[in-house]
Amino acid sequence: MIIPEDHIEQSLEASLDHCIKCNICTAACPVSAVTDLFPGPKYVGPQAQRFRHARQPSPDESVDYCSGCRVCNEVCPTGVRIAELNARARARLVAERGIPLRNRLISRSGLVGRLGAGPHAPIANALLGSKPLRMVIERTLGIAREAPLPAFSRYTFRSWFRRRRAPQIDAGTPKRQVVYFHGCSANYYEPWIGKAVVAVLEHNGFEVLLPRQRCCGLPLLSNGDFAAARRAHEENVAFLAPYALRTIPIVGASTSCTLTLKEEAPELLGMQSDTVRAVAQQTYDIFEFLRLLHMRGELRTDFRPIERTLPYHPPCQLRAHRIGRPALDVLELVPGLRLIETHAGCCGIAGTYGLKVEKYRISMDVGAPLFETVRRSGADMALCDSETCRWQISHGAGVVARHPIEILAEAYGLVT
Amino acid sequence: MRTTIVIGAGLSGLMGALALAEAGLRPLVLAKGQGATHWTAGTVDIWGGDERSPREALQEIGALHPHHPYALIGAHAVEEAIVRFRALTEAARYPYVGGLDRNILLPTSAGALRPAALLPVTMAAGDVRLGGTMLIAGFRELRDFYPPFIAANLAAQGMAARGVYLTIPPAFRRREYNPVTFARLFDNPAFCSDIGRQLRAQRGDATRIGLPAVLGLRDPTGVVAHLQDESGAQIFEIPTLPPSVPGMRLFALFQNAIEQAGGRVQIGSEVICGDGRDRLLTTVWSEAAARRQEHRVERALLATGGVAGGGIRTDHMGMVRETALDLPVRAPANRAAWFAPRFLDPQGHAIYTAGVATDAHLRPIGTDGAVVYDNVTVAGALLAGTDTVRERSRSGVSLATGWAAGRILAEWMA
Repeated sequence: MIIPEDHIEQSLEASLDHCIKCNICTAACPVSAVTDLFPGPKYVGPQAQRFRHARQPSPDESVDYCSGCRVCNEVCPTGVRIAELNARARARLVAERGIPLRNRLISRSGLVGRLGAGPHAPIANALLGSKPLRMVIERTLGIAREAPLPAFSRYTFRSWFRRRRAPQIDAGTPKRQVVYFHGCSANYYEPWIGKAVVAVLEHNGFEVLLPRQRCCGLPLLSNGDFAAARRAHEENVAFLAPYALRTIPIVGASTSCTLTLKEEAPELLGMQSDTVRAVAQQTYDIFEFLRLLHMRGELRTDFRPIERTLPYHPPCQLRAHRIGRPALDVLELVPGLRLIETHAGCCGIAGTYGLKVEKYRISMDVGAPLFETVRRSGADMALCDSETCRWQISHGAGVVARHPIEILAEAYGLVT
Repeated sequence: MRTTIVIGAGLSGLMGALALAEAGLRPLVLAKGQGATHWTAGTVDIWGGDERSPREALQEIGALHPHHPYALIGAHAVEEAIVRFRALTEAARYPYVGGLDRNILLPTSAGALRPAALLPVTMAAGDVRLGGTMLIAGFRELRDFYPPFIAANLAAQGMAARGVYLTIPPAFRRREYNPVTFARLFDNPAFCSDIGRQLRAQRGDATRIGLPAVLGLRDPTGVVAHLQDESGAQIFEIPTLPPSVPGMRLFALFQNAIEQAGGRVQIGSEVICGDGRDRLLTTVWSEAAARRQEHRVERALLATGGVAGGGIRTDHMGMVRETALDLPVRAPANRAAWFAPRFLDPQGHAIYTAGVATDAHLRPIGTDGAVVYDNVTVAGALLAGTDTVRERSRSGVSLATGWAAGRILAEWMA
């Protein structure tokens, strides 16, 4: 698929001229720090882009080793949109060469989740926990046998939500509604996170709405399958726009899903309609939303003390929202709780990147400083807003990694 | 919520944020990206525009240039900032040496000599007055650092110097190199030992060895000590092209100190506008995904840099704008007056004096002299009334006004 000319493409092209070759991005890139297979954001981004032309073959395959963490964008002093350049370049490579079966599979988290989650989950989990079978999968598909795969849940979050008895909302209080975008992980793997989100929102007086939704499409985007990602985003916009247009906020606790709805899908796919924009503008990461409530004096602060000191890792996809550290801002309000930001860069997994046999070692090397920081903290638990990062941290550092919303629910005394 | 906002994460913003954090105000530093620190040599120039010592220049500046930032805050405020900065670097075991009494001349990576008032101890043995023979050593793989060229230029200026290339041990070879690649290599003691042995073998009669400023990110003074032990000569660093490893060390130690004191640094968040009433800035917005992020403001320190740093934008129509809060800018009246005819004109280029004018409390003022915002102070290269390039005062002005602007803002009563 050739990406159509759009104003985003043009603005990316224009941003090339802002590159002054200072190499700050290369200095910050976690991937080029550990492997020669990726020469760094400056080379594959603004430099190689000069040689990419429509109707000509892509000049540079190393762009496939970009993990898409976006730290290059974060540190660039002149505003070059390197990560977008790389993602689009990868999509062109995929368009030229096709998508390997492995990448088709691992980028369809909704499909995989539907197959694995449910009453039969223990069987699926036992199979995926079997070393010989993982060896076979590695040989045939190229999914690294050691890579951290999450366990399927025996029930989906949506089935729980449908069956539960919804709380009575006091008729006297003004009705405040919020849409919850749970994403694949809360639905198929970690329903307890969805429950914590619902509990915290309801505790703050919101009616939680659960419209239809499908995978946000980020794994498709990061594997360069833009055509499928476009279909996913079009569907999600169709499901969510009726709420967004009524200015009902859309809240998610999977920080990569919320970033995709806000920016990654519209920007990378060049989708610019009013409804796409409305959905983007109404989408909030859960702690961003709670922090906003607090700013307006509307967040309940009836917290019980939690006397703990925990390492907190802000995932790259959260940093790409460019909203600071909302989880720290909100959890600062809990008496006794002390979170220490890790400052150890990227965990390495980058969604599906670290699952791939040719990239597994890179992802573990990228994550090594973080794993070391978490281990040295002495805490038996780390906090992180992104599911794949949590699985990677548990895998690499050997401690439980939880979503900060779980701690917040605990501080509210909510049983989930 | 954090209502003390520092805009910009260069030396001035970081010094200001440190002052605010130590006053218990939990500042939030917002910056477009990483910049000034990562671009600079990591030394502090207080004054190098003429033969006077920095102290003399500071004491005399008010008489001729009453609007110069140094004159506004006073020499004592500059000294106070230096004292705090040195304590900060000492606590981080990366001490800065030097002072106001004289400039130390240090070799550059072109073999020229550059004055600096304060320098990291890892550069101290580069002081040209130390005499003796210098060995300049580098790596072919590190671009823009050519030891024979540096040595030849030093020799042409009367300093005995020889340039050699070192070999990267096979186990440490990479495909691409930049200063940070080397800094990470030097963080490894095995790499250091190997390089130290090569230096000893190549040393000859040299008593001092200059290396590119890539001697580790974690413990540079330890790396220097290690190399001195192995080589038997004094080791000093010569700043490289960006990304600047000494600058990255500075950024890291500032970030650590600011966060330890309760502040926070948010990179990748350009402040694009602000709003206020009754001479008070009340809100700023930073660029973010899908919509701007709102920050309520009780007090704000603006340190976004000048024309080169992005705090001031100019265009071909002659417009000169302050980019974050749209404050009034003092600039040459028209575009024809921006530049001197010669590129290296000793008088400098007038456009580099463009900046935000302030009162003695570093609060921004308009053309009528009236304060725009009582709860905003301005620091660093954004300030009007100075051409820090010509004066060689860029980092000194940033350091001193950053600290002063932070202290003033901390004492300001809402």
